[in-house]
Amino acid sequence: MGTNIVKVDKNFFRYINNIQLKLISVFIVFTLICMTLGFFFGSFDISIKKFVHGNLSQLEKEILYQIRIPRVLLSAFVGAALGLAGACLQGLFRNPLADPGLIGVSAGAALGAVLSIVVFSNLLEHHFLGIYLLPISSVTGALVVILILYSLSKGFIYDGVTYMLLIGIAINALASVGIGILTFVSDDAQLRGLTFWMMGSFANAQWNLVIPTIFLILISIVWIIPQSRKIDIIQIGELEASRLGINVIKLKFIVIMSSAIMVGVSVSISGMIGFIGLVIPHLVRLIGGVNHNYLLIGSAFLGSSLLVLSDILSRITIQPAELPVGLVTSAIGAPFFLWLVLRIKKS
Amino acid sequence: MSIEIKDVRYMVNDACLLDKITFDINPGEITTILGPNGAGKSTLIRLISGDMKPSSGEILYDKILLNKLTLENKSHRRSVLSQSQNINFDFTVRDIVEMGWINDFNNNFEKILNEVSKECSIEDIIERKFRYLSGGEQKRVHLARTLLHIKSIENIYENKYILLDEPLANLDIFYEFKLIKIIRKLAKNGLGILMILHDINLAYKFSNKIALMLDGKVKYFGNPEKVINQKNLEKIYGLKMKIFTKPFFIKYY
Repeated sequence: MGTNIVKVDKNFFRYINNIQLKLISVFIVFTLICMTLGFFFGSFDISIKKFVHGNLSQLEKEILYQIRIPRVLLSAFVGAALGLAGACLQGLFRNPLADPGLIGVSAGAALGAVLSIVVFSNLLEHHFLGIYLLPISSVTGALVVILILYSLSKGFIYDGVTYMLLIGIAINALASVGIGILTFVSDDAQLRGLTFWMMGSFANAQWNLVIPTIFLILISIVWIIPQSRKIDIIQIGELEASRLGINVIKLKFIVIMSSAIMVGVSVSISGMIGFIGLVIPHLVRLIGGVNHNYLLIGSAFLGSSLLVLSDILSRITIQPAELPVGLVTSAIGAPFFLWLVLRIKKS
Repeated sequence: MSIEIKDVRYMVNDACLLDKITFDINPGEITTILGPNGAGKSTLIRLISGDMKPSSGEILYDKILLNKLTLENKSHRRSVLSQSQNINFDFTVRDIVEMGWINDFNNNFEKILNEVSKECSIEDIIERKFRYLSGGEQKRVHLARTLLHIKSIENIYENKYILLDEPLANLDIFYEFKLIKIIRKLAKNGLGILMILHDINLAYKFSNKIALMLDGKVKYFGNPEKVINQKNLEKIYGLKMKIFTKPFFIKYY
């Protein structure tokens, strides 16, 4: 085990070329620029000059520290989580059309969230745990889906990821039945909350939710990045990879668990945000190459920056109201995806 | 020292896919499996490579039980070429071949990579995208990867083996002949080779041992001269056969 980690570190730069390293630094700078924009622009612009000179008014400080910064941080980390999870799952399933929704984890998280909005919302309304109810219920939903996947594929042993994708389709269908029933029985207020949640939004980013989210996403990122080379090698087939000494079952476990945690947590706090997980990895591949040492890190940063940008767009397009950010990402992502499909067909 | 296969049986549910398999694979020799489709040839290779465990019987690598070896340990003793899968992303040929290198990168790497790509005639396509190659070209790339794999390991263990599941499928007669000569050279350098072929002529000409399989059993095993005869072949393939000892096309070989 110890030697393995050293091996990965020693050869890490062997599998990523200079151009890709430069591209990643560009992505990082771009992310930082987007985040800075996010801090200062919105329905209420905060002057950067004033901030630098340190003479913001009390109201501006309040907005910056209690609303803008947690919100931008949240969107940055959710973007990174979705982009990275998409890249890992496309790699693991050796399928360019895989995304976190595909194995049913998003659907499970969504069902958990809807359950908490419709059924449990009155239960803990005035309790201090009330604000954690939705995230906890949603992460539980994601975990239940993972458990189902785990047991049906006999601990991820079953070779052939197609099987897992088919289970994912079944889980998705079941979850949408659940969501449909719950939507049907909900009252007007619940329905409104539900609708907004389904379209995705960072509007209720508060520090006490944002910090645990960032923490969980960071842990998953640190867990998954050292697997990059193994995800490369699995492209030649699971059996072939195992013959080269790679523990494929462990790899599947790590990739699926960490993606599920990242996606579950993201969905729970910001609702359904489509197309980031699907489109970002393709974009990153188009820009600089297919090897996962570059792809995973690149997808995290590009996902991050583009979701922060989408969130800025969602805040400023129909002021003073806000567009749900899921609508923005889908509006941009869907045409791009279509272009991608046509491009694949051509080649 | 060799790979010893001792009374191996493999069952799936109640069906017996392999039964009473016993033979050795010796270093420096080419052992070829011949037999009709569904005889259990590929299953046997998967058992010997350690992907699956036999239901009963034992497989030993140089006197060590295969079941006791870790994945990494197995990868140090043998490399395997199997019926390959599609690759859905734009990896280059070089990327794919490099995946076979399971050692740290040292000075030998470029040298061995060049040597292997020359042997498999893939120098000209090495920067091309793998998934747009033809079936025969893809086969050569995977063969190069398998060779790089076995050559990337320093000689920690006494013997190394290569298991090849239809290495000549999809190849034209030129490459068929070229690659089987490479395989023969590997055997001469001391590697133990097990392969599945469908071409009886090539098997006869290049193998040290031949196993004729039918219905999950090795029916005949031994030197090509002993095993390949009209009676045996007719029994294995269920066809009328005639053997010409000096076929008119032999001079092209």
